[in-house]
Amino acid sequence: MEPPQSQPQVQVQGNSNPNPNPNPNPNPSPIQSTGGIWPTIDGPLGLSEEESVSYARRFYKFGFALLPLLWAVNCFYFWPVLRHSRSFPRIRPYVVGSAVGFAIFSALICTWALTFSIGGERLFGPVWDQLVMYNLADRLGLTAWS
Amino acid sequence: MAQRQTPSTQTPTLLDSLGEEIVRIVAPVSICMFLVVILVSVLNSGDSSFSVSSIATIAYTETTSDSSWDKFVGALLNSLAFVVVVTVATFLLVLLFYFRCTGFLKIYMGFSAFVILGFLGGEVLIFLIQHFSTPIDCFTFLLLLCNFAVVGVMAVFMSKMPILVTQSYLVVIGILVAYWFTMLPEWTTWAMLVAMALYDLAAVLLPIGPLRLLVELAISRNEEIPALVYEARPVNVENLDPRVAVARRRLWRDRRATENSNLRGDANVNVDNALGLGANAELNHGSDSNRNDPSLAGEGAVLDSNLSSSTSYGTYSDRNLVRAEEGRVQETDSEVTTPLIGHGVNVRMHSRPEDADASDENLMLEGIGLGSSGAIKLGLGDFIFYSVLVGRAAMYDFMTVYACYLAIIAGLGITLMLLALYQKALPALPVSVALGVLFYFLTRLLLEVFVVQCSMNLLMF
Repeated sequence: MEPPQSQPQVQVQGNSNPNPNPNPNPNPSPIQSTGGIWPTIDGPLGLSEEESVSYARRFYKFGFALLPLLWAVNCFYFWPVLRHSRSFPRIRPYVVGSAVGFAIFSALICTWALTFSIGGERLFGPVWDQLVMYNLADRLGLTAWS
Repeated sequence: MAQRQTPSTQTPTLLDSLGEEIVRIVAPVSICMFLVVILVSVLNSGDSSFSVSSIATIAYTETTSDSSWDKFVGALLNSLAFVVVVTVATFLLVLLFYFRCTGFLKIYMGFSAFVILGFLGGEVLIFLIQHFSTPIDCFTFLLLLCNFAVVGVMAVFMSKMPILVTQSYLVVIGILVAYWFTMLPEWTTWAMLVAMALYDLAAVLLPIGPLRLLVELAISRNEEIPALVYEARPVNVENLDPRVAVARRRLWRDRRATENSNLRGDANVNVDNALGLGANAELNHGSDSNRNDPSLAGEGAVLDSNLSSSTSYGTYSDRNLVRAEEGRVQETDSEVTTPLIGHGVNVRMHSRPEDADASDENLMLEGIGLGSSGAIKLGLGDFIFYSVLVGRAAMYDFMTVYACYLAIIAGLGITLMLLALYQKALPALPVSVALGVLFYFLTRLLLEVFVVQCSMNLLMF
């Protein structure tokens, strides 16, 4: 009688990770989430999960001071959180909020900038000349190096 | 069961790890030089010789009508004045560091970075807007500029950010300062480069040199000096033991020194020891640079010297800076130390202090170091002076740009090799600047004539 055929052992990591990032630590440590991926885009060089929560929250809150770039950096930094939607429940609301905020803000700025540049003088009248940057720089003498 | 070693699971050879590390430091230097060349060629095509007044022109203002001898003497005086200012600033920095005014230094550095990114960046952007006649309005411009500057200061000094963002901001700061320096008169620029290379050599190698004092002070106190240092990513993180990877992650920019109290908290000082061991520490010491921005001007020059310590960007003040390189001697976990030495080479280079002209900002620029963990750190001053050399070469012709670029990269490679050989702090400027200046003059005097004649006679090129 033949012994039951066992499947040839393929390389198995400590936990079954469906995600593509290799889990360097086969034993889940408190530093990583149970999903075995790192919350930041830097991977093992980035933050731990607890630090990530505080950083994500801080970036989200500071972004309200007219700093959409900070929201964008927040989304970029915690990109794995956005990609794996179930892994980091505590960080996710801040990152998603930052993404939404950045999208709205950039839509507004792009709309205004495009209106300004395409509309030009026909739309704004003489005010356009006063608002456009190169005239303003000339008038205020911003390009004189000293 | 047959085992197959895929390339990803093979132990990286010396070539992989060392080559990768070198590429990770040569790439940003090349990007910085390339962008400065582009800026110079785009903005100076009108050939408006804009001369900035700064400390480097305090002794003599070069005009095109002077004789060559006058220009030469004037350039020497200017560069001498510049070096004196840098020396004084560095000693001031050593003094401040000695009296433990690190908080003040950090605030000053943050302020300097904000001024560079905000004002200098704004000036360069305005130049570009005027050149391309971009119809952007002032509100959008101000908003974008403020965002850029604030996030930049956060990335470089205050907060932990994606490594890519921090590295990019450091390169941008290097580009802006280098572009500003290329606005100096020509003879003064070349004299200043040579003078700074000599100063770097003296300050790092002489026992009374301020940078050496600074480094020794930092080592003895085990503290960190705030500095602007570009740090490359360490290689081979994936192949490390998980505990090592964790510890390395913590080392790499650990901003909260709390749990790493056993790690030396902030010091960037890596003491250079014999290789191969966790005990290596590289000393990176930063160069201080005073950047004076005349545009801000007006006010008197506040020279600050910031010491930059070797650590990575931004983490200072009581953080464990990148220690990845070091394997951290103080790390009590032994796992941390050993595997970090991928190739057993612990070298460090020290670069010269970066000094800027008369304005108020001081950048702390750091020398170059090669960590045992493979993370190379290069001071921002090196970026700046290399880019100034290449930018000035670009003002003449692109042929000199190619020659100077190759010379600088070769000098960087030689310095890395010397570092591996001598295992102590070495200045990063002298070899590259010497080769660069030599190649510039040789190209300008000899090669150009040859190439032009060949091209005109349709022989080659």
